[in-house]
Amino acid sequence: MSTARRRLVPYFLLGPGLIWLLVFFAVPMYYMGELALRSGSLDEGFGFTWEFANFPDALSDNSTQFARSFLYAGVATALSLVIAYPLAYAIAFRAGRWRNLLLFLVIAPFFTTYLIRTLAWQTILSDGSPVVDALSFIGAVPDGGRVLDTPGSVIAGLTYNFLPFMILPIYASLERMDRSLIEAATDLYASARTAFLKVTLPLSAPGVVAGTLLTFIPASGDYVNALFLGSRNQAMIGNVIQNNYLVTNNYPDAAALSFVLMAVILALVVIYIRFAGSEALMGDEGGQTR
Amino acid sequence: MRQMKRLRLLVIGALALIATLALAACGGDDEVGGGSDEEVAVVEKGPVEGEVTISNWPLYIDKGNQGTVAEFQEATGVDTTYIEDVNDNNEFFGKLRPEFEQGNSGGRSIAVVTDWMAKRMYDLGYLQEFDLADLPDVEANLRENLREPDFDPERKFTVPWQSGMTGVIVRKDLAPDVTSINDLFDPKYKGKVTMLTELRDTVPLVMKADGVDPNGASKEDWLAAIDKIEQAAASGQIRDFTGNDYADDLTRGDVVAAIGWSGDAVQLQADNPNIEWRMPDEGCILWSDNMVIPVGAPNPSAALEFMDFVYDPQVQADIAEYVNYVTPVDGVKEILAERDPELANNQLIFPDDEFTESCSIQPTLEGSDEQEIEEAFQQVITG
Repeated sequence: MSTARRRLVPYFLLGPGLIWLLVFFAVPMYYMGELALRSGSLDEGFGFTWEFANFPDALSDNSTQFARSFLYAGVATALSLVIAYPLAYAIAFRAGRWRNLLLFLVIAPFFTTYLIRTLAWQTILSDGSPVVDALSFIGAVPDGGRVLDTPGSVIAGLTYNFLPFMILPIYASLERMDRSLIEAATDLYASARTAFLKVTLPLSAPGVVAGTLLTFIPASGDYVNALFLGSRNQAMIGNVIQNNYLVTNNYPDAAALSFVLMAVILALVVIYIRFAGSEALMGDEGGQTR
Repeated sequence: MRQMKRLRLLVIGALALIATLALAACGGDDEVGGGSDEEVAVVEKGPVEGEVTISNWPLYIDKGNQGTVAEFQEATGVDTTYIEDVNDNNEFFGKLRPEFEQGNSGGRSIAVVTDWMAKRMYDLGYLQEFDLADLPDVEANLRENLREPDFDPERKFTVPWQSGMTGVIVRKDLAPDVTSINDLFDPKYKGKVTMLTELRDTVPLVMKADGVDPNGASKEDWLAAIDKIEQAAASGQIRDFTGNDYADDLTRGDVVAAIGWSGDAVQLQADNPNIEWRMPDEGCILWSDNMVIPVGAPNPSAALEFMDFVYDPQVQADIAEYVNYVTPVDGVKEILAERDPELANNQLIFPDDEFTESCSIQPTLEGSDEQEIEEAFQQVITG
């Protein structure tokens, strides 16, 4: 009896998570899949017709926005990494008693909603604002040029909004690192640079991989930044989906588009993890199975 | 071995998915969308009591303690919930359509939508009809030129809430010489111009600018105008397409000329005297937003009472004074002439026939043409 019960324990532990996944992921996915295979119009109704053509059409009709989404998300992820790594490093190794305060400052923006913060950037970057005046004074913006409603403003918004998701995992992996390893490296005549490249960087790789995924995935599906900080020339794939669902009420196309987006992101992530190595993602434990 | 097991699981899973999809396909009557063939429900007037929920556009009534909503509550004892959740006809419709499809109204007794959307909802079987005899004040005070619109000639499923004009809103200080729709295509204002996401406002104005009458325009005329807009958007001449949010762009000065609605401009001008609505040389687009009662609406009796209540000229005078759109009720101008002569003489609120002479009634579209035109326009909006 007790062994049977013990065998059931993992299932009980998994239970809440599995039910959550079933209700909020599997069931909606099923309905979305079913919707994606319909065809017709709003007035005549969308009938279920196994319309598989919706999927390739979704990709080919919106290739510009797909390319743009991944470009913006990729650049934003790279920028986040460049900003986040030194910051996380400083907080983990150099901040001393300021560490908690700095961590708090990283999270502080979350106390205001995402929408309000993005809308605030609309004002900050508006054509006649001091920021834009200053930028055009130093020549970063051409005379009479603008910042708002350009790719730059959308990428800046994405970077700003997802930066904490990059900082925190990198910080976590750096913080739990065994410092004596660095000492050992320097004792063995490694320069500070070599110690960083051979010890610190590889050990923080799980954080970097987690951070890039947490930034890139939501950024590629984001539509708020492109909506408020961009114009129609910066529309991302999220804007197209939102538009299809709520404005043209073309549900099958919207559902097919969501699936294609999911598939493309999944493919990119699989390639990335292959490339980055699964040990990096899983830490040491992942490496052992090899 | 383990690989095999996993493969088998995958195959079973895939088969199960296909089987359920096939079942759904045979289900037949679970169509998404499409009209219903059932008889149209007609509201029966009963006792006025209980609760009522009204969905309207933002800033379309004074909902404060001294405002019209409170007044209605006091006069009838009906517990009134007034929500401002309509920002865009399509978006509102998209949000509530699943409810309408089930024969529910999403808890709303009254919703306010523009002419063409009211027609679409009616054609889909989402709206109830009512008897004008139950609405004595509407019957008596509805303005003559609004009594027999093409889409609802007997006014059996719509009662106008407010009317308005679509034209250009300019920053007098930054774009003093914009007086026509064609001026919006002037390279001088490159990147400083916006147009509305409402297809039936933006495209007909551009057609008028090219000398095409939007009422009776062919599909090709629509597509040609959309093409012209697309080129201007691609070149960066048109900065973006917006809803009410052009107000912020104009206030900040990011945009100096926009296609916009008359009532908004009156309200904006009060805050910034440099903002002005202008009747385009080519004329404007005239439209109305209408109160409708969706199928399944709770307490339709009280809904009728509310519709009639706002057609009392005294009540409507308060609304007109607050919202600054064109009022659909006769007798309001006389009341406001005593209270606020300047308002009563404002052509944007009480336009005379001469002022709107070259304006066109907002056109409606039908069937497959509508879908094709809408899709073409959406392509332009989302780039």
